[in-house]
Amino acid sequence: MRRVIVSILFLAASASAAELRDVRDPAKIKDAFPAAARLRVVNIWATWCVPCVAEMPELRAVATALWPDVALVGVSMDDMIPEATRSKVVAFLDKQKISYTNLYYRGNADDLAGFFHFEGEIPVTIAFDRGGKEVWRHQGAIKSADTIAELRKLLRRMR
Amino acid sequence: MRKLFVFLMLIGLAAAACIGDELAVGAKAPQFALVNAIDGRTVAFRPGDGKLSVVVFTCNQCPYAKAFEPRIIELARQYQSKGVTFYAIDPNDESQYAVESLAEMKARATGRGYPFPYLKDGDSATARAYGARVTPHVYVIDGGGTLRYRGYVDDSAKPEERRTTGLSNALDDLLAGKPVSNQTTRAFGCTIKWKS
Repeated sequence: MRRVIVSILFLAASASAAELRDVRDPAKIKDAFPAAARLRVVNIWATWCVPCVAEMPELRAVATALWPDVALVGVSMDDMIPEATRSKVVAFLDKQKISYTNLYYRGNADDLAGFFHFEGEIPVTIAFDRGGKEVWRHQGAIKSADTIAELRKLLRRMR
Repeated sequence: MRKLFVFLMLIGLAAAACIGDELAVGAKAPQFALVNAIDGRTVAFRPGDGKLSVVVFTCNQCPYAKAFEPRIIELARQYQSKGVTFYAIDPNDESQYAVESLAEMKARATGRGYPFPYLKDGDSATARAYGARVTPHVYVIDGGGTLRYRGYVDDSAKPEERRTTGLSNALDDLLAGKPVSNQTTRAFGCTIKWKS
């Protein structure tokens, strides 16, 4: 019964337009996660990044399968390109039916990479526990089945 | 145990063959001879030719590489007059992305007035040899053939948000006869579309 309610709530959330908030300070990204989430997954991406676009349905599948134990937050790096617009990112997220929180990063790319310890290649997907400790990372496009299995394994270990 | 060690070594070598380790600052730069899309002629770079050289891995399709294109052209014009040689190399697989063909490269280079050759790394071997990961990814090689800088052009493609200028900083230091103050930076951009 709980699962049915959770699924209905998730579908209701999915029907609304994508939320896209601005963020400049990489340290503020963790504030976008719901307190209840046991695992917090950051996905750093951009609409101009071919593998990032390719993995969006995979991320949606992960979010659907594991919510609310696992919460995803996307961080768009579109703003690195001079002609980037927020509206393009919102339209893309709506088209992809992405309903988990996405942030529009307006800070320096080097600061973001330094904060999350990646070398400049996106997508990169990183999972943190409630305490903010990194517990899993994937460089490049994810596959939903593998990622769901990995995150479920982590959830079991956290019990 | 020995068999396991050999097996792990083979896996390591196979991985290195797919995407090379990034060339370390202080290492000898790999040579290359590649076709220039602009005129069809082969251009050879022999490290140690006495010239300060810039090798930029870039491409036709990546929005981030395209955002840096005017800046690379500007820097090439500025530093060529000081004796610096620029090479732009497209390592993306044209069989997967037709926009990376020689004809498309020529159209882009001539349309935008590239003041440097635009070379096709058709099997991505040169990018692998340098350990390039993304476009744009920049390497500066001194006259003795030693890598002195690798990383980004600048830390932002938006001139008003630029805080550090990786490429011009390295060239200024080397032209002044000084060691490069910021030898490695994070290259951002689109993943290279490797020829498999």
